[in-house]
Amino acid sequence: MTELSAGSAPGATRDRSTITFWAVSILTTILVVGPIAPIILQAFLDRPLYKPDAVVTAGNFVRLFTEAGMGKIVLNTLFFAVVTMIVAQLFGSVMAVIVGRTNLPGRKWIGEILIWPLFVSNLVMAFGWFTMYGPSGYITLAFKAGTGLSPWNLYSLTGMSIVAGLSQAPLAYLMCIGAVTKADAQLEDAARSAGASPMRALISITVPMMRPAMVYSAVLNFVIGIEMLAIPLVFGGPSGIHTVTTFLYDQGINAAVQSDYGIVGAGAVMLLVIVGLLVWLQGRLMKDSGRFVTVRGKASRPSLVDLGPWRWVAFAAVAAYVLFTIIAVFAGIFMRASVSFLTPLVPFWKLLTLANFELIFNQPGYVRAILNSVVISFLGGIIGTACVVLIALVAKRSEFRFRRALEYVALFPRSLPGIIAGLGFFYAVVWVPGLDMIRGTIWILIAAFVVRYIPIGFGAIAPALSQIGEELDRASRISGADWWTTVTRIVLPLLKPALFSSFALLFIHFFKEYVTAVFLYQPGSEIIGSTMLQLYAQGDNGPVSALATIQVIITALFVFMARRLLGAKIYG
Amino acid sequence: MADLILDNLSINYGSYKAVSEVSLTIPKGEFLTLLGPSGCGKSTTLFAISGLNHATSGSIRMGDRVLFDGKSGTVVPPEQRNIGLVFQSYALWPHMSVAENLAFPLKLRKIGRAEQDKRIKEALELVEMAKFAERYPFELSGGQQQRVALARALVYRPGLLLLDEPLSNLDAKLRERARVWLRELQERLGVTTVYVTHDQAEALAVSDRIAVMDTGRIRQLGTPKEIYETPADAFVADFIGSSNFLTGTVVDRAAGMANVRLGDGTVIKANTGRNGADENVVIAVRPERLQIVGGAGENVVQATVQGGSYLGSVYQYELTGAGSTFRVQTAREVADKHVFVYVPPEASTLFAAQSRPQA
Repeated sequence: MTELSAGSAPGATRDRSTITFWAVSILTTILVVGPIAPIILQAFLDRPLYKPDAVVTAGNFVRLFTEAGMGKIVLNTLFFAVVTMIVAQLFGSVMAVIVGRTNLPGRKWIGEILIWPLFVSNLVMAFGWFTMYGPSGYITLAFKAGTGLSPWNLYSLTGMSIVAGLSQAPLAYLMCIGAVTKADAQLEDAARSAGASPMRALISITVPMMRPAMVYSAVLNFVIGIEMLAIPLVFGGPSGIHTVTTFLYDQGINAAVQSDYGIVGAGAVMLLVIVGLLVWLQGRLMKDSGRFVTVRGKASRPSLVDLGPWRWVAFAAVAAYVLFTIIAVFAGIFMRASVSFLTPLVPFWKLLTLANFELIFNQPGYVRAILNSVVISFLGGIIGTACVVLIALVAKRSEFRFRRALEYVALFPRSLPGIIAGLGFFYAVVWVPGLDMIRGTIWILIAAFVVRYIPIGFGAIAPALSQIGEELDRASRISGADWWTTVTRIVLPLLKPALFSSFALLFIHFFKEYVTAVFLYQPGSEIIGSTMLQLYAQGDNGPVSALATIQVIITALFVFMARRLLGAKIYG
Repeated sequence: MADLILDNLSINYGSYKAVSEVSLTIPKGEFLTLLGPSGCGKSTTLFAISGLNHATSGSIRMGDRVLFDGKSGTVVPPEQRNIGLVFQSYALWPHMSVAENLAFPLKLRKIGRAEQDKRIKEALELVEMAKFAERYPFELSGGQQQRVALARALVYRPGLLLLDEPLSNLDAKLRERARVWLRELQERLGVTTVYVTHDQAEALAVSDRIAVMDTGRIRQLGTPKEIYETPADAFVADFIGSSNFLTGTVVDRAAGMANVRLGDGTVIKANTGRNGADENVVIAVRPERLQIVGGAGENVVQATVQGGSYLGSVYQYELTGAGSTFRVQTAREVADKHVFVYVPPEASTLFAAQSRPQA
C-alpha cells in the first residue's frame, strides 16, 4: 500500500451510457407521440386515414360543433366533471381529517376500507351502484317497499355525477391524508404553545396545509370526470344522457358498421385539448406549493385530536358513509353474482346459485379474458417498471443534455385520456406499416397501458430516487464506474422497494383498466373489463357481476401478496 | 504520480462566477488545503478536479495528462481520472458491507480476487478498521464511517486524493485526533492531497500549503506560517485567526516600517507589509499579540474596557480606544476600566483601508 503509483483507471466505456440516454429518449418519444399523431392527423382528414385518397379538411370540426346536440354533450361533460370533483373533494378531505387526525373509534379499519375503491375500476363501482341504487336496485326497492316513496333517480345527470363523485372520493382522501398525517408535528406544537387548543391548531395550521393536496386531487378528479366512461355509460345511457367520452365510445364502437372516423378524431382532439389545459393549470396552481411543504426530515407524527363524546357522533357519520357508499357497493356485486335474481322481496339465500360463475368458466372467451387480464397486468407491470425506471434514471440521475425534455415527454400521458390513448394506438397500428402484426394481440394492449401509466410508475419511483443521495453516484463515478455501472450497481439495488411498489401499482392499474382497451381488443385479446362491457350491453347482469367479483378477488389476493411478499407500498 | 496543475481555471453557473481564474501547482506528495468561507468556491474547485462538475475554462492537468481543457474541449469523465475522493457525508454505499464498498472500485479495475482481498485488508488495516470488514455502513459510528470512506478512496491507489470537509461531521474532540491521524497517514503514503475546509485551525494543523479563497479567487497561497504571520491582505488576516483593525493615516514610511496616526492622534509604528502607497490604512494586529502594560510609552494606546469574557485558557476584553474597537486576549484578569495597550510593531501589519473586510 505504500507503493501508490501502481493504480490506474478503468478503460473507457463512455459510449454505452450515451447510447442508453438516446435509446431511452427516442423510444419514449415514439411511444408517447405515436398514438397522438394519428389522432390529430385523422381529425383533419375527410375519410379514414389509411385510405390513400384522404383529403385535408377542417370539416370534421365544423360538423362536430354544428351537429345537433354537441353543445349539450359538452355542457353535460362539464357539469358531470364539476359535480364529480366537488363531491369527491368534499367527502375525501373531510374523511381525511377525521380518520387521519382524530381519535375516531376504529379509524385504522375505516381508513383501510376507504381506499378499497381505488383498487377496482369505476366500471366495477358503476355496476355495484347500479345493482344497489339503480331504478330496480336492491336498496332502492327495499326503500320503496319500506316507505312507499320513490327515492332517488340515478339515471339523471345529477344522479350519475354524485355516483362518480362518491366513487372518486377515495382519491381525494388518499392525497389529503398524506398531507394531514405527515405534517410536521412541531408546527402544531408551536401553535399549541402560542395558545391554540388542539382542535384549533389542527384547523388553523394543518388543514390549510392540505391545499396543495386538495388542488392536485381536485384537478385530477376533474380530469377523471371528463374522461370517465363507465358511470356515464351505465347511468346516462338508458336515459340518453351523453358525455364527450360516451359520445366517442358510441361513435367509435357502436356505430360499428361504418365508424365516423372524422368526427371521432375531431372529438378526441377536443378532449385532448381540454385535458391538456387542465393538467397545465394543475402545474400552475401547484407552483407555490413550497409554502405548504409539510414533510421534513426528522419530524415526528402529529398527535391525534381527542373528540371526547363527539367521537361517537363522528363514528356514526363515518360508518354510515363507508357502509352505504363502499361496503354496500361491493356487497351488491357479490350478491348479484351469487343469485339468479336479486330482490329484497325474496330472501337472497333462497335464490343462491353458482350459475353465473359456471357461465363464465364454461365459456372459453370469458376464461381467456381473465387469463389475458392477469398476463397483461403481470408482464405489463414488469415491462412498465423497467421502462419507468430507465426513464427516471436518465431524467433524474444523468448528465444527458435533454433529460428535462425526456421527463416532460414521459409525464405527458397525464394529459392523455384512456379513450384517446386506445384510439391513438388503434389508428397507429392501422396506419403504420408493419405494426399490423401486433393488432388484436395482448401486446398492443400492454404497449398502450404502459404508455398511459408511465406517470403512475414515475410517481412511485421518482420520490424514492430523490431519497438516494447523489454523493453515492458521485462516489461510484470517482471510483471508476461509468454511468451505466453506477446506476445498475449502486442506484438500482437501493431502489428495490420502489421498484416493487411501482410494479404493484402498475399491476393494479392494468388489471382494472378497460377504457384504453375498448378500441384495441379483438376476440382472443379480450380482457375482463372489455368483456364486462360486452355482457352489460347484452343485459347479462349476473355474469357481469360474477366477472366483477372475480376481478375483485384476484385484486385482493394480489394486494395482499404484494404487501406481504414484496413489501410494496400501495396507497400508503 | 505527478504534479497537479490548475491553470486559469474558471467555473461559471450562468452569469455567476463560482471560481475565477484559479491557478495552482501542487507538487506530488504535497498536502494542499483550499480554505475559505462557505460559497468561496473551494468545493467547486475540488469537484472540478474530480470531474464531477464541469469547469468553464482553463485547464486541469496531472503531469502530462490533460484532465480538462476548456480550449480543446477535453473533458475526461470522473471514472477515468483515477482520483480518490472522500465526501463530507462519506457516501458509503448502504447496501454493501465495508469490504464490498472497498471491493467495488477494484472490481471495476478487473483486479483478481486474491489481489482484491489483499488490498482491502491492507487498506482497512491502514485506517485501523480491519475488524469491521463485514459490517454495513449503518452499523458504524461517524468516525468509523469516515475511516472506511478514506480506505475506499485509497484502496485503488489513486494518483490524487481529494478530501471534501471529511472531518466536519465529527465532534470536536474526535476531529482534533482525526486530523493528526490523517496527516500522518498522508505523509506515510506520500499521496498528493487536496483538502477542502472552512476550519482555519484544521487547515493550519494539517497542510503543507494553504490556498485561502474568497469569492472564487485565491487570496493568498503559502505555508501555514506565512499565511498566519504575514497575511497578504486584510481578508486573510481576518479569516485566519482573527484580527483587530485600527484605522489611521500614514505619517511617513521608512525601511519596511511606517508611522501611523490613529483616530485619537496617537502615532504608532507598524510593518508596511505588502501595502503600497495608500494613505488611509488599517493596522491589523491579533488579539493575543496585544499586551496590557502599566503606563504610556512607545506604541502604546490608551483604551477603555467595554466588557470581557472568560474563554478558559485566556481572558478576552472588548476595548475602545484610538478611534477603533478591538479585542485583547490576556492570561490574567484585568480589573481596571482604563488601560494602556502596547501594539508590538513586529506583529502589526498595514493594509489599505478599503481592503478591510466588512463585519
